[in-house]
Amino acid sequence: MSVIPYHRVNVLTGIKSARLIEDAQEYADLIQKAKRPLLVLGPLLLKRSLDGKLLIEYALEIAKAANIPTCATAQVRAKMAELGVKPDSFYDVVEIINALKDPNWRGVKKEGNHDLVVFFGIRSDLGEQGLSVLKHFAPHLKTMTLCKYYFPNANYSLPNFRKDEQWKAFLESLIDNLKKGA
Amino acid sequence: MAKVKEITRKLEEIQKKIKAEIPWEPVGPTPMPEIPDLRNWDMRLLKTYAPFYAPFCDLCCFCTYGKCDLTETRRGGCGIDIATQQARWVLLACLMGCSAHAAHGGHILEFLIEKYGPDKKIDLGGSINIEAPHIRTVVGLKPETLGDLVIAIEYVFKEITHLLDSTAMGQEGSYLDYESKALHAGMLDHVGMEVADIAQIVGFNYPTSVADTPLIDLGWAAVDKSKPVILFVGHNPATSTVVIDYLRENNLYDQVEVCGVCCTALEASRYSDRAKVVGPFSRQLFFIRSGIADVIMTDEQCIRTDMPIEASKAGSALIATLDKAMYGLEDASEMDTEEIVKQMIEDKKHFAILDPRKAAEVAAKVAMEIAPQRRKEWLTEEEARELSQKCNDCGMCEQVCPNLFNIGAGIAEVAKGKFDLIREQFNLCVGCGKCEAECPRKLPIFKIMQIAASKETWKVRAGRGPIMDTEIRTVGAPITLGTIPGVVAIVGCSNFPDIRDIAEMVDEFAKRKYIVVVSGCSAMVAGMWKDADGKTVYEKYPPNFDMGGVVNVGSCVANSHITGAAIKIANIFAALPLRGNYEVMADYVLNRVGAVGIAWGAYSQKAASIATGCNRLGIPVILGPHSSKYRRLYLSRKEEDDWRVMDARKREIVDTVEPAPEHLAYVCETKEKAMVMIPKLCIRRNDTPQGRAIKLNHYISLHKKFMGGGLPEDIHLFVRRDPDIPLVYKKEVREYLQKIGWQPREPVGLPTLIGTYPSKVPVDAVIH
Repeated sequence: MSVIPYHRVNVLTGIKSARLIEDAQEYADLIQKAKRPLLVLGPLLLKRSLDGKLLIEYALEIAKAANIPTCATAQVRAKMAELGVKPDSFYDVVEIINALKDPNWRGVKKEGNHDLVVFFGIRSDLGEQGLSVLKHFAPHLKTMTLCKYYFPNANYSLPNFRKDEQWKAFLESLIDNLKKGA
Repeated sequence: MAKVKEITRKLEEIQKKIKAEIPWEPVGPTPMPEIPDLRNWDMRLLKTYAPFYAPFCDLCCFCTYGKCDLTETRRGGCGIDIATQQARWVLLACLMGCSAHAAHGGHILEFLIEKYGPDKKIDLGGSINIEAPHIRTVVGLKPETLGDLVIAIEYVFKEITHLLDSTAMGQEGSYLDYESKALHAGMLDHVGMEVADIAQIVGFNYPTSVADTPLIDLGWAAVDKSKPVILFVGHNPATSTVVIDYLRENNLYDQVEVCGVCCTALEASRYSDRAKVVGPFSRQLFFIRSGIADVIMTDEQCIRTDMPIEASKAGSALIATLDKAMYGLEDASEMDTEEIVKQMIEDKKHFAILDPRKAAEVAAKVAMEIAPQRRKEWLTEEEARELSQKCNDCGMCEQVCPNLFNIGAGIAEVAKGKFDLIREQFNLCVGCGKCEAECPRKLPIFKIMQIAASKETWKVRAGRGPIMDTEIRTVGAPITLGTIPGVVAIVGCSNFPDIRDIAEMVDEFAKRKYIVVVSGCSAMVAGMWKDADGKTVYEKYPPNFDMGGVVNVGSCVANSHITGAAIKIANIFAALPLRGNYEVMADYVLNRVGAVGIAWGAYSQKAASIATGCNRLGIPVILGPHSSKYRRLYLSRKEEDDWRVMDARKREIVDTVEPAPEHLAYVCETKEKAMVMIPKLCIRRNDTPQGRAIKLNHYISLHKKFMGGGLPEDIHLFVRRDPDIPLVYKKEVREYLQKIGWQPREPVGLPTLIGTYPSKVPVDAVIH
């Protein structure tokens, strides 16, 4: 939790920070509590792997375990097609964010805008800027990240994992918890 | 024109300035437009392409009421909200960029008028009659002399002052109005750039009215380090041209190597094809730290602010030649030349010398004197390996890298004698030097990376300035009908996600017979790749502004010739008058000229300003991922937005349904996505069925190539009738359209936004 100085006008740093969460159970609870979550998949999922398993595979397991609709950005859909999975929607990252900030948007399932948006695999500079859009202009929804590092502009973020093993353990535990709760 | 102008003497003054009595064309409704004059056009654009703000900071810290927290629904002490604060930042960025180019233009004009007088004629050669499309359109003036260019630049200076005024605390309170002002600044920028480049072409005898300009040696290995080396850094050619003159006049040009980094290199190579282009801005610090330059001469824009420190570290002598960047150095403009040379050699002192002739003489003498005493050897692999041993993999370098890669991992590999990773990483490095500044063990990371730098040399075609009128006559019809699928302008700075992306994009679209235009740092890196036959894109493709051509217009300020070409199409091909007629020109470009800008490595405020100027003129721009930090895009919501236009022939408003172009300012995360967006953003409402089919063919085929097969999910929005469907995908597209219940619709005869918003321009004005 960030500490704000009493005379904030003089020293305010300008970050309404994300709540840092390390417990996969808590993440799973937040996802499962959401009525209309959305998982936004970025192109870094195609580049990185943990122990030989591509991140996109973790992402798809999360989507399946929690029954979350997916949005494929950039060229992610190409890899998903290879894996035999069809995303629920295709938007590039600025387009999905532009839609999400409209409270009256009907969402990728046409059932109403999403109340929790989980971002995974967007490069951090663009991701942080996108989260900033939603922080400022989309009070109707919460945001969450699954990337290895802390994203202050999200509502919920993982810490900066120094080691890939910690991140991998978190993702595996999240998948287990989501399966249990399903 | 704003009402106020009609009731005061202002219009009379404007008519005098633009020599309205010379009837080369009737004066349109907005000569020398002020802030409100094109506001309705802006608001119409912003209705469909709404500003999309990504705040880079939650605060405002501009005045002593702050810092003010603008999160949630809070307003600052002055009443500003977060959206308006972002728009204010955008305007400030555009003003910085616009000022940089305009001041550059103003300085060059002063320099040349001092030399030649104000009556020196503007002559851009036999193939260029419309010498200044922006000045003619915006200012309403047909410039015939250098003195006429002063009228244009003084108009820009005046408008900049009014725009900057609006950013002071307690003024503008609407983000839309700030955006309109930013669009105004962007438009002015193209005027300022045009002034600068026309003056340079005229004053320095740069190539003009020619496509096949010389191929210039490119890359730092092209620099002959056995000779004394003078390096120019920046943008303004007043210095480099005088240095080259001095060397020629004193028979020293064979003995001294002259080279440049960033746009000033392109300028030097337009003046002398023996000047070498080291590379883009992102290679500046590498090259300086290599110590190859004996004398560094800075001018303005895109020069590192720590240049005196870096020059001293490398043992190079530094001369700051322009007042924009004097680094706290002693101004030696009036000091005795021999005394300056003595102090630079003996005391290793750097100076500011604002007299170009004196600066040139000092540079030549100092370079020749100190070069023999300096070591200019590349680091060996063994030395790099030894230096890398100190790395303890703390990860600090990765945390500060703006391109988000782990140079520490590359250094760790070098320590083991492996160099593949660091060679790969060199392509990602944007050259900021933050990694080295952060390293707790003070590893000379940039020096170590020397072993990754290619020792290969390439070619870049010298900048050719304006597109020729004769070329416009040839391509005007196929561009507006769509049979040339588009003009793809790959421009701007070098904050690339990967430096190799540019050549790949140029090659892809030239191969597909788009007209590819390049400028600035992007023009350099386009040349830093060779095909299997050892050819760069400049050797592989013709230099003509025609299908499949690759055209280097020149430096940053030459970007005005790219947008100028779009105006020329409206004026020369469609015969629409341009004088003081901005709305008609912009409306034509938006609806009929399939052009898109790609600023893949945009980093500076100048890039923000250039792009915003393109947007006001109706040209969409795709930006690389870093550019999300510019805080603002212009995005539509596809099916949910207003795509109605006036059919000027039938005089009725028609809902076209098609988002063409879909966005005006758009960020892509990957080059693959960008290459799918490029053909889509070249689609225009005016396309003939044949042209539309060609454009959709590229859109579908690139989508299939990079997005894993299948059709683009929005293809139905761009198919008006069956003949729009490309032959090769006929069956697949028809099946898809049938499946989703698509209905054919009539193409619009003469699409225009005029008539869909309040404007003094009558619908008749767009009929040609």
